[in-house]
Amino acid sequence: MSSSFPSLGYGLGLRNEYYEQILAQSPAVDWFEVISENYLVPGGKALYYLDAIAERYPLVMHGVSLSIGGPHALDTEYLEQIKQLAERIQPAWISDHLCWSRGNAHQLHDLLPLPYTEESLYQVAGRVRQVQDVLQRPLVLENVSSYVRSKADDFTEWEFLNALAHLSGCQLLLDVNNVYVSSRNHGFDAWTFIRNLPPESIRQLHLAGHMDYGHYVVDTHDHPVCDPVWALYQQTLEHFGPVSTLLERDDHFPPFEELLTELSKARELGASALARRSLCA
Amino acid sequence: MRLIDWQLAFEQHLLSETSVANSSFAATLLGGPTLDVDTGLAIYHNAYLSRLQEVLRHDFGAIWYWLGDDEFALLTQAYIRRYPSAHYSLRWLGERFAVFILEYLVAEQSAPLAEMARLEWAFTLAFDAPQGAPLTLNDMAQLAPEDWPTLQVILAPSVQQLLCRFNTVAIWRASKDESDFPGSQALNLAQLCLVWRHENVCHYRSLEPGEAFALAGMVTAGWSFSELCAQLAVTYEEGAPLQAVTWLKQWIQDGLLERRVP
Repeated sequence: MSSSFPSLGYGLGLRNEYYEQILAQSPAVDWFEVISENYLVPGGKALYYLDAIAERYPLVMHGVSLSIGGPHALDTEYLEQIKQLAERIQPAWISDHLCWSRGNAHQLHDLLPLPYTEESLYQVAGRVRQVQDVLQRPLVLENVSSYVRSKADDFTEWEFLNALAHLSGCQLLLDVNNVYVSSRNHGFDAWTFIRNLPPESIRQLHLAGHMDYGHYVVDTHDHPVCDPVWALYQQTLEHFGPVSTLLERDDHFPPFEELLTELSKARELGASALARRSLCA
Repeated sequence: MRLIDWQLAFEQHLLSETSVANSSFAATLLGGPTLDVDTGLAIYHNAYLSRLQEVLRHDFGAIWYWLGDDEFALLTQAYIRRYPSAHYSLRWLGERFAVFILEYLVAEQSAPLAEMARLEWAFTLAFDAPQGAPLTLNDMAQLAPEDWPTLQVILAPSVQQLLCRFNTVAIWRASKDESDFPGSQALNLAQLCLVWRHENVCHYRSLEPGEAFALAGMVTAGWSFSELCAQLAVTYEEGAPLQAVTWLKQWIQDGLLERRVP
């Protein structure tokens, strides 16, 4: 039972705080994930660094504004810009989130949860196919953290992801931290979520930190990865085999060396998990 | 509840002034073992406002410095309620901030603040404007002597022009230096300030009236270089060509100009 895709190895989220160091030091990072929206601009420093880094490292595009589950029509202008950026930097794949971020009239700039109902499933699957037709490639969708869920759910989140991948042909970006955050907030078993995902659809993993308030957990991406998430990550790799792994940090940016040390930890824990998988095979 | 109605209720919750949700919407939701629905909805509500306010603190750092945390929070909260984000990119969130300030505050307070908002927004626009093809001194060195009199130019795409009636640039500088607030004052004479990007760095410069007149003549009225010399002769007499060349060289060194294509 393994992921169908070759692994790019261990990557970092590209953030402007680190542009200079990446170009000056050519750090041992296998690939970078870029926030697509940061580069949907006509010119300037961000595109300059993006082009320079694209010459040296494989890149993956990760969007936050597609709003694949939103109540509005898909933004074709946005999609066209995503397509143009993809032509420019040739990403290994393009991802966004299984969520909605735009309401009826306004942009809400958050990764809002969907009810896991049949109505949502067929609506999102249709929109995924539309996006894939424009981008001419499978869309990769990430599970989001959530703080409420709908009483009307027909499916668990992992059942919904399975069905969506089956209906639309999308691939999955499994954010291990988000599974942990939602499992704590909603009281489900994180491993049950992960082991029930379709292995053949898992394209990428995310690792990140969060804020633990005791009674609940908030996905802040501003802390190092915590021990329970590392443990879940190792279990995930033992189950799925090698999967491209990305360490995300979106705020409270530490010195670059600290992120590289955390990425080395991911490599070491990943290698030992994969070694255990080989022994059990 | 249909999906679209549920989403509209969620949107209404995020946009409302209070983090306490409408009870009929909250009744459609489940929390978790130790996270109740009201807390879960408050997390979304608070995150919406604080995320947008953080963007405005970044884009309007000098106004934040000017007003302080509390007043800036009140102003930006009112702005976000009045003009919710309409663009997928948060980069455009502050587009109407200067207009809002004029609408929302009394005139004595709004005029200098709105001018600061326009200055800070000019930096945002210059930051990621198209690169264009700015003229270089090397281009000028290769210009044939017979082409000089008819040379015409336009502004490079990143150049923003702002007419300052207050000491906005001095206040902006103080905010960057984290020095004492200099106090807002009207200028005796309005001054043109340029904001632009050159070699990936944003720059700004205030122009004296003579230089502003000469630049406007070339980039707005479409004067050729020889027309510029003729206009400057009124003031500078035989020194006009030297003054014209001095300014033109400065503008080109700054990366302000592109050649006007006939």
